Amino acid sequence: MVMSCRDRVLAAINQETLDRPPVAVFTTCDTIGMMKASGASWPEAHSDPQKMATLGCAQADYFGLESVRAGFCLTEEAEALGCPIDMGTSHSSPMLKGHRNKYDPMKKIYDEPNDLPDIDVFLNTKRVKTTIEAMKIMKKTHGEKYCVVGGNTGPFTLCGHLLNTENLVYSVWTDPKEAQKWVAAIAPYCKAFGQALLDAGADIVQMSEPSASTDILAPSDFPIQSGQFVKHALGDLTGHTILHICGDSAPIIPFMFDTGVTGISVEEKVPPEKAVKIANKRGALVGNVGCAMPLYKGTPQEVAKAARASRDAGFNVISAGCGVPIGTPDDNIRALVKAITG
Amino acid sequence: MNDKKLLKELADSVVACDPNRARIASEEALKEGIDPVEAINKGLVIGMGVIGNDYAEHKIYLPQVLVAAHSMYEGLNVLLPAIPKGDLSDAKTAITAVVQGDVHDIGKNIVKTMLTAGGYIVNDLGKDVTPSSIANTAKETSVNVVCLSTLMTPTMDSMQEAVKLINDNGYHKNCIITIGGPPTSEKFAKEIGADHRDDDAQSCVKYVNSKMKKEVK
Repeated sequence: MVMSCRDRVLAAINQETLDRPPVAVFTTCDTIGMMKASGASWPEAHSDPQKMATLGCAQADYFGLESVRAGFCLTEEAEALGCPIDMGTSHSSPMLKGHRNKYDPMKKIYDEPNDLPDIDVFLNTKRVKTTIEAMKIMKKTHGEKYCVVGGNTGPFTLCGHLLNTENLVYSVWTDPKEAQKWVAAIAPYCKAFGQALLDAGADIVQMSEPSASTDILAPSDFPIQSGQFVKHALGDLTGHTILHICGDSAPIIPFMFDTGVTGISVEEKVPPEKAVKIANKRGALVGNVGCAMPLYKGTPQEVAKAARASRDAGFNVISAGCGVPIGTPDDNIRALVKAITG
Repeated sequence: MNDKKLLKELADSVVACDPNRARIASEEALKEGIDPVEAINKGLVIGMGVIGNDYAEHKIYLPQVLVAAHSMYEGLNVLLPAIPKGDLSDAKTAITAVVQGDVHDIGKNIVKTMLTAGGYIVNDLGKDVTPSSIANTAKETSVNVVCLSTLMTPTMDSMQEAVKLINDNGYHKNCIITIGGPPTSEKFAKEIGADHRDDDAQSCVKYVNSKMKKEVK
């Protein structure tokens, strides 16, 4: 009997032995090609559950990727918590236009995290609700054959959106307890959103925590400033979970697994063999074909070569190393799939 | 404290990430009659150079760099107003910007800091800056260096457009264009007609300094 895409992805993230790994993008993948093919485009697809579901399923419908995924950016939680957002256009993603709270470590002026909305209100606000509703639709239309993946934002990253990331990072050096207090206050919102995605039909929650990358935080700071809160918000969920962190995550791969997630997603900045060695089968490895090069700017041949390198190294799920750029050529995504599925 | 010790204190205050200490040392330097340009170049800038090198070598991370930069600016806030205006007329100039569509500006801010530490007068255009605004400002203000940054892959196109407009308006022959940010590469820099791409701010300033001597008229 032919294995369904859903069964293959679930087996892969549980590190079962397979004839080949699945090709699936758990980070964002909603390209211009997918928008044209599906008829569901940005910016409407950020706020309309049906359009979000249609575009999220286009990765399987039009490119043969082996999972379906929504939402499409890392601003929906910040918006639901009160940050002003520019919704962008068909070719540009939503952008944060300001912050919610005063947090100035240079002047030692800190708001307290005591006026945040009720979690139930948060879950029913704007695009957080949209994404939860989209999960229900995707589960209904594609859930039998494909894994449904719901994306959300990590607590340190979301906290940076509310407070100003640069100021939050500054305070990691000067007032680390203040930073931790805020991330601790935000983590329950991340957890509630993740659980709501699962309850709505998601098989996997993929959390992106880019502001905790080694380009920003010292690896030794990761467990205290981000990891312990990711454990609460993602690792403790009752479902499959994938943690994505951008950049050269090699020094923090063990800490990423310490959060209790099912698997981790890493960029091409970690050579595939090195990632596999460090991961040491502690969980699934997802990645790590480069997004700018070769997916966005390279050739199909270069994409195929990178995909095979990740497969040969032993990645469990072959995927883009980060969010797939919106302008990525259709042929490059097809090459990613074909290199693995044949 | 003698002059040598004061200059060392200025540098040490930045390395120690201590804004108050940097401000106090700068006030002391002026009180002792040290030339403010010397206090900057042989004090604060030396300290920021140590920080920049340590950051490039992953000996320290962003939180420390941000606090060290704040320390340097605390000192500059005291020392810069004490420099006679004529003394800055020959200073090299730069603009920094995060290109349109992107609001992630920490990397750009570090480049701005290291350029300032390198003696450049920096006009920071901020984030989400349109290609035309970058090209027009470069030409209208006759800058020596244009530094463009993006964290996101889709906005690489905005970077390409900004460089194209600087070429189209004929100003590229008068300035150096450098780019940076995780999705960029040296290959991409060549492809879009920029002069250079760097992994870190310290290397960017070293490159720009080396080219300034040769190319900028």
